[in-house]
Amino acid sequence: MSKENKEVLYGLYDDEEYLLKAVDQAKAEHLEISEVFTPFPVHGLDPKLGLAESRLHIAGFVYGALGTLTAFLFMTWVFTRDWPIIFGGKPYFSAPAFIPITFELTVLFAAVGMVVSFYIVCGLGPGVVNKTLDDRITDDKFCIAFDVTGAEPTFIDKVKGFLSQSGASEVNTKSI
Amino acid sequence: MDQFTITSKQRNVLFGFMGLGLLCMIITFLGDDMFHTRFWTNFLHNSVFFTGIAFMGLFTIAAFTTAMAGWYTLIKRIWEAYSMFLIPGLILMGIVVISVVGHLNHLYHWTDAEAVANDTILNGKSGFLNSGWYAGGTAVIVGLWVFFAWKMRSISLDEDKNGTTAYTHHKQYRIWAAAFLPIAGFSSAAVIWQWIMSLDAHWYSTLFAWYAGASWFVSSIALTIILITYLKSKGYLEKVTQEHLHDLGKFLFAFSIFWTYLWFSQYMLIWYGNVGEETVYFQQRQEDYPVLFYGNLLLNFIAPFFVLMRNDTKRKYGTMVFASIVVLFGHWWDFFQMIKPGARITAMEAMAHHGGDHGAHEAGHSAMEFAMGYSLPGLLEIGTMLGFLALFLFVVLNQLAKAPLVPKNDPYLEESLHHHVELHGDDGH
Repeated sequence: MSKENKEVLYGLYDDEEYLLKAVDQAKAEHLEISEVFTPFPVHGLDPKLGLAESRLHIAGFVYGALGTLTAFLFMTWVFTRDWPIIFGGKPYFSAPAFIPITFELTVLFAAVGMVVSFYIVCGLGPGVVNKTLDDRITDDKFCIAFDVTGAEPTFIDKVKGFLSQSGASEVNTKSI
Repeated sequence: MDQFTITSKQRNVLFGFMGLGLLCMIITFLGDDMFHTRFWTNFLHNSVFFTGIAFMGLFTIAAFTTAMAGWYTLIKRIWEAYSMFLIPGLILMGIVVISVVGHLNHLYHWTDAEAVANDTILNGKSGFLNSGWYAGGTAVIVGLWVFFAWKMRSISLDEDKNGTTAYTHHKQYRIWAAAFLPIAGFSSAAVIWQWIMSLDAHWYSTLFAWYAGASWFVSSIALTIILITYLKSKGYLEKVTQEHLHDLGKFLFAFSIFWTYLWFSQYMLIWYGNVGEETVYFQQRQEDYPVLFYGNLLLNFIAPFFVLMRNDTKRKYGTMVFASIVVLFGHWWDFFQMIKPGARITAMEAMAHHGGDHGAHEAGHSAMEFAMGYSLPGLLEIGTMLGFLALFLFVVLNQLAKAPLVPKNDPYLEESLHHHVELHGDDGH
């Protein structure tokens, strides 16, 4: 995604307990963490990092409401204006008969809309290759990453010291 | 505080409301028609509603135990206490049974031997809709529920005293829980047919038992949320956190929608099928009882759907209690709407037939006039409901006082203590 290479210094932790403690410690030492990678959602990590709550569910509500309106208004238009047919002696505008399809389209719009939004926000998609710092962060390692592009060697040493001292089992640098 | 004790103030308040309920029932009885239909429908309505909540307490424990759920262990004692209300429930339904079998009222059309003889549909159903089945079915089925409730409660209480890390109590408990599930599923359907659906004796719906059962379940969860919040405000259940509340909120939300799904499925199939003997049920309710009919959807679907949809509303005690009160009242309203119109027509027909009431009424053909206690719940109905609620809470609080609130030897206790569902939030209390 990014045009220029970034120098990233990162530490790998074996357990989320160490990770959570390290995040607290980094905050206490005023070290600015640029990313944290975990193989699964870690409870309590988001507020520690000061991340705002995801707005994906608000988008989901909007997509769902859009689905409701699309389905209901389209069926109303078709069966009262465009092509009125009498089914089973019911009136043209038969709201109860529209409900199942309205429900289905609400779910469809909300689900597909949220997946597509999520992919766009995360820069994912078919054919997109994203570089990872280390493949093991998708398996069993917890990672704290610092952006050290063009940083002073003293700062790099300080971060390295912090990582190994806070319990990281490995400390690496990678250009990404 | 691990041991709940009922204070004299709580006892007095509950006795006060029970007295109010009794007073309302007496006033209803005195100002009633010749069959005391309003009194008996109110009695039936509240007995069925609160016995159902007690049954759902037991059912919930059985289902969660079988599913190896761990989060609910801290509030297990509350549902155990609910299940103990099945004993008063059996007595209350016993009174209804005696009144029906003894012809003290005209709630059910099928109790009228003459009508059954001249009516092909009722005659065809008389193998099930008869006094023997009504009395025997109620006694055996609720009796069975009482037995399971007592058995599971005694294992759970014994586990507190003699439980070991071999967890023999819990293994035994799981067998009883698993055995109860199929029994609960089939038997609850049978009593719902007898108690409620046969009020409209000509009508039937295969979805009805599920729909009424979902109503019971949502009521049970709603009352649990209110009770937990109350107990926490008194300093009990301090280990129960927002995380547990959140899960109860999800149940309230999900099963409100489940109820709506069943309600709508029943409605739409009957509406589309357009068979006269089926549609009459909804035709009566929509034409003659529009407030009951549409209010039902407002209280039990629209309100909980929009209030509980967001994540954070399910974690706030105030919002949850508000939603629970709306939904609890809503499902009481739902049962009112199931019971009253059918029983009213039966009683009117019986009165016209017996010639006791002037002006024979051709029931089912002309529009029903507005009548307090039928078209809408009146003050007497509200008072009666508060009386039954006070009785229910009195039994539940007394049962809670009999055992520690935390089942300390339950193998899932530790999981319940560390229950954490909200990814984004910090540890909330």
